[in-house]
Amino acid sequence: MTAKQAAPENGSAPPLPRQFGAVNWRGLGALLWRGLWRYVKMAGHTVAGPCISSLLFLAVFVLAAGGGAELAPGVPLAQFLVPGIALFQLGHSAFENAGFPVLDDKLEGMIGDILAAPLTPLETLAGYAVPAALNGLLTGIVVLALAWIFVDLRVHDAWVLGGFAAVSALLFALLGTLAGLWADRWEHYAMAENFLILPLGFLSGTFFTLASLPETARGLIAFNPVFYAVDGVRYGLTGHAESSLLLGAAVLLALDLALWLLAWRLFATGYKIKP
Amino acid sequence: MQPSSFFPSPPTPRVMGAVNWRGLGTLYMKEVRRFLNVFTQTLMAPVVTTLLFLAIFTLALGRAVQQVGGVDFALFLAPGLVMMAMVQNAFANTSSSIVIAKVQGNIVDLLMPPLSPTEITLGIVGGGVTRGLLVGLTVALAMWLFVPLRVAHPLFVLYHAVAASLLLALLGLIGGIWAEKFEHISAVTNFVITPFSFLSGTFYSIERLPGMWHGVALWNPFFYMIDGFRYGFIGHADGSPAVGLAVLFGVNLALWLIAHRMIATGYRLKP
Repeated sequence: MTAKQAAPENGSAPPLPRQFGAVNWRGLGALLWRGLWRYVKMAGHTVAGPCISSLLFLAVFVLAAGGGAELAPGVPLAQFLVPGIALFQLGHSAFENAGFPVLDDKLEGMIGDILAAPLTPLETLAGYAVPAALNGLLTGIVVLALAWIFVDLRVHDAWVLGGFAAVSALLFALLGTLAGLWADRWEHYAMAENFLILPLGFLSGTFFTLASLPETARGLIAFNPVFYAVDGVRYGLTGHAESSLLLGAAVLLALDLALWLLAWRLFATGYKIKP
Repeated sequence: MQPSSFFPSPPTPRVMGAVNWRGLGTLYMKEVRRFLNVFTQTLMAPVVTTLLFLAIFTLALGRAVQQVGGVDFALFLAPGLVMMAMVQNAFANTSSSIVIAKVQGNIVDLLMPPLSPTEITLGIVGGGVTRGLLVGLTVALAMWLFVPLRVAHPLFVLYHAVAASLLLALLGLIGGIWAEKFEHISAVTNFVITPFSFLSGTFYSIERLPGMWHGVALWNPFFYMIDGFRYGFIGHADGSPAVGLAVLFGVNLALWLIAHRMIATGYRLKP
């Protein structure tokens, strides 16, 4: 008789299943912690990369423009660019930190550990998307702090800045989660990144004003949600906005809600994650 | 007992001359197929990224900066962007190939066959150069739809395209051999390759740079790649094209010798 089989006879009853209420806070907390720790552990890649690339963008634009240029009246070039660059890095980071773990877990088979745990689909979704959004926010804060060393930045409206940053981070984190769920291979993930996220991010008014666009493009950019995100964050930092903040907030919130429901549904039905 | 009477005699080893052409060809084709297999990531993505750069820079600065070096800003920008895409892809091809082979352990398949260090270097670097040139060609064609590119000195364009792809392919090979984890090579990409390709006069004439930095730029081989390549298109250079030719040749030679030596001694490749 092995020790294992003998154990119950020694009087020690097997541990009782853990009791929890409507939300499995410990399970959710573990996923949250995992996402944040992953980000910190890979800081050389997740933080340093965006910082370098932001400073490079800032440097080449300022050098190419030859100083003094103003894109928008009353806002110096560097101050116009920093909010956009920071938001772009925030979004990219949130996307990457959601898409990468989802697809990695899928390909390595670790998703089974998460599906087998007593977590509802909603908790699973939150466990992937929320830490990714927080990672994105952290990246944005670090990039802003770094840019602040070189550029004179003053916060015009902290609430608008924080609010737009938060909804944008969640938007990109949800896009990343969806991309990770949809992708079967790394190539697919890279496609989503290269052909969706980069164009949306670059053609969003990060680097140019509406006035500099040709007529047709001006109409099209209204369909790019990242445009509203950049605009809101830029208003929060410089007080200069090109569209209605209320409209922007409504678009972003509606999109967040729609993507959240879609991702929730996909986790619940087990799209590409359950056999 | 004569084993040969029971079993067919083993195949005789293949006889080859001074160069193992079949092995070299196989290695080269493996390197090329590796990136062609995922062409959306390796050929299409650079096209999209580069066109985006072109769009945002001309939109943002088109009015503030009309002319650089005597030509339209878009004409000044386009060759530099093509070069940037080429160098980043040439580097990515060789570095990722080596790092993945090392991490996954299939590097032995490269070290076991009867390939000399020169043949290994040539096969891997050849794949990187091929990707650099293919990306350059694709990106240049895509750009030509938007920017009226004209070639002033075709030989300059060709020399700089090959020399720059070779230089970065060699750097990628050296970096890949040195790196022990993916993190190391992504650090090299983030902290060395990207900054150099951004800050070497792709987006601005180095005459813009303040005093000391102008001098520093003239020591940067990346500057000569971009400047010489652009000279081939628009016929205007910030530095001396002749110096550029010599610098690129010298740096390539030195890097080739380093890469060859690393493979010959098995630095971080053999146990």
